[in-house]
Amino acid sequence: MPSRSTYHEVRIQHRAGPLALDVELTLDHPWTALFAPSGAGKTTILRIIAGLDRPHFGRIVCHSSRPAQPPARFVFCDTSAGIHTAPHQRAVRMVAQRPALFPHLSVLENIVYRMPANVVEGEEIHSRDSHLNAILELCRVSHLTNTTPSQLSGGERQRVALARTMAAGTGRLLLLDEPFTGLESDLRDDLIRDLRTWTAERGTPVLLVTHDIGEVFAAEAHVLKMKSGRIVASGPAAEVLAGERDRLIQRLRPDGTVILAKPESL
Amino acid sequence: MESQAIWLTLRLAVTTTLILLAFAIPLAWWISSGRSAIRSFAQAITALPLVLPPTVIGFYLLVGLGPLTPIGRAIIRLLGHPLAFSFTGLVVGSVLYSFPFAIMPLVAGFQAIGPEYVEAASLLGASPFRSFFDITLPLARPAVLSATVLVFLHTIGEFGVVLMLGGNIPGTTQTLSIALFDRVQDGNYAAANHIAILLIAFAIVGLALVYAAPSRRTLA
Repeated sequence: MPSRSTYHEVRIQHRAGPLALDVELTLDHPWTALFAPSGAGKTTILRIIAGLDRPHFGRIVCHSSRPAQPPARFVFCDTSAGIHTAPHQRAVRMVAQRPALFPHLSVLENIVYRMPANVVEGEEIHSRDSHLNAILELCRVSHLTNTTPSQLSGGERQRVALARTMAAGTGRLLLLDEPFTGLESDLRDDLIRDLRTWTAERGTPVLLVTHDIGEVFAAEAHVLKMKSGRIVASGPAAEVLAGERDRLIQRLRPDGTVILAKPESL
Repeated sequence: MESQAIWLTLRLAVTTTLILLAFAIPLAWWISSGRSAIRSFAQAITALPLVLPPTVIGFYLLVGLGPLTPIGRAIIRLLGHPLAFSFTGLVVGSVLYSFPFAIMPLVAGFQAIGPEYVEAASLLGASPFRSFFDITLPLARPAVLSATVLVFLHTIGEFGVVLMLGGNIPGTTQTLSIALFDRVQDGNYAAANHIAILLIAFAIVGLALVYAAPSRRTLA
């Protein structure tokens, strides 16, 4: 267990309609990917960790460790003790599936909505402008600042939502709910690579929810594979998702359109 | 010639509108921010004036706030005079009577705003209070405008509550609609006609304001 970085312990039992969630996970890697088909309860898990929903039974503990600060422990949620910290007090950031940009604000106003005046990172103090520019470049939205949300395409909205979240500070945990859907794959891989650097510099763990194998491999994430509300496998992507990858290759092969180099498994 | 009644009516409408918005906005926010029996009950109570004859409200306010009840006696001690037949009394009656005209558009307006915006704000670290002023209220601006104009116009045109609670004292409680009634009873149809046209003009200008207002920007 890495003792010098922020990690989270999550235990959730929850019932919502036909879905019965029963998961226990430790977010102690820089990036963890929750991989499952749609409707497996991934979004519900993120909403519970963020504090938007309450689990029927559960306990979510954040072990925070920041440079120049003593380690701290925050109990976000503990149903047996009746603890439920409000979402805005958890410092858990989430980029939701639907970007929900504020329609009455311009794109720039959206991004700086909760951006602090002085950004202190470690020993460095960044000016607001330079920090903002770094975020605009990170999320590839520099050219969009003079527009309004209604003028943007779906992929642009998702990147602006990402920028808005990064500007508020990465917090104690960053939750990404399929935020790269609809992005062209080269752009997506570049963005994920830069995000990895960005979150690593700030010591913020990331939980990525996806059903896209490409994203998982690009993020070099530790994979938790879910099936009907439970985690059925965990480990490095190449191990856990080998079967999925092969199936994908098999499916693409007959068309002759896409041939991926992995002959030994065919 | 009706300047006294016009001034009194406008003063009543402005005062009522301001007080009502101060109460109705938080109440409507609370009603629309969840589902529970008590919220539905609160909404039903605030809608009562819509279906009750105004004279019923006026009558109970007259009796309830008069010297016969403890509340009424407390008010008399506080103000030095009873609420009935005073401008303050008219304001109290108007606020209660126009409550549904504020609550209904506001609740509908708040409910039309998807929860994802407030959730997004809270995940960026904004408290519920903060996101209400930054996000909810600006997005509900058309509803606030509707509520403001409806309450204002409704107060200008109200009759029953004013007559029961305020009587017909020129300069103190004689609003335009009461003055109109007064002129008709005197057989002064020309004066009554002037007042009626004035009331119609208020209504047309106010409603034009609501319908001409730019609608909310397309949601993203």
